[in-house]
Amino acid sequence: MKKLFPLQHVMGYVSSLILSVVALTVLFFDMSFGMQMTVLLVCAIIQMSVQLFVFMHIGETGSKTSLYTNIAYALFVGIVTIFGTLFTMIWGYQ
Amino acid sequence: MKIDHSVPLEYSTEENKNRIFGFWVFLGAEIVMFSTLFAVYFTLWNRTGNGPTAKEIFEIGPVLIETFLLLTSSFTIGLAINSMRQGLMKATMGFFAVTLLLGLGFLGVEIYEFVTYVNEGATLQTNAFMSSLFTLLGLHGAHVTLGLVWGGGLMLQMKREGFTPDTANKSFIFSLYWHFLDVVWIFIFSFVYLKGLM
Repeated sequence: MKKLFPLQHVMGYVSSLILSVVALTVLFFDMSFGMQMTVLLVCAIIQMSVQLFVFMHIGETGSKTSLYTNIAYALFVGIVTIFGTLFTMIWGYQ
Repeated sequence: MKIDHSVPLEYSTEENKNRIFGFWVFLGAEIVMFSTLFAVYFTLWNRTGNGPTAKEIFEIGPVLIETFLLLTSSFTIGLAINSMRQGLMKATMGFFAVTLLLGLGFLGVEIYEFVTYVNEGATLQTNAFMSSLFTLLGLHGAHVTLGLVWGGGLMLQMKREGFTPDTANKSFIFSLYWHFLDVVWIFIFSFVYLKGLM
């Protein structure tokens, strides 16, 4: 059993299920919009890290630094795209 | 071909290492592509015209099923790679099969969801909200569909050739792809569905 279901993977799976349920609570509890977005963002980022570090083994190769640089750069471009768009198309007019 | 036995099979040759690195670079490009579609959706999601709004059309039930199926499939493909590294062919094939079945289940629920939207009169042409929603979800669904074909092909090859540096490398890369789809889904679940229902 332990060979097929290593603890690290099981913990990763259980924690992503728990985080999804935590994210779901934004629909049922009375919270401010800022609080709701914070809960969603924190849960999503932790879940992404679980996938990257536990399941995708990003840290195990010899080319670790280049990998982290590449993913960090992609995330940077993605975040600038999303928030830059929101800034120019929505927030800028309010 | 020089095989390095101190690392898992999928990393064992120079070419294999480069392929894995190259796939990470591809995933970086995928992150940026999905970001542009998220940006479009966030800009247009309350431009609903005469059509339905997010709150009217989203249903949490099917979305929770989809989330559960995809999270579980991401777990099982991780287990498949874990078994592969221990040379357990039967377990690897089993976990691969479970992963693909869960992926198929996810796709089924998503198609059901799309059909429901269209029956309710919300099509790609209805309003800017539906266009951007279908584009974002559709691209993710197309990735899952491609993954099913790819994973199915890999299972056939692994059955025929066993664990070689080649098949192990391909399976590992497939697992990276599948986990990535799960990451994208987490963001769709949080910032499309939950935010839309808030």
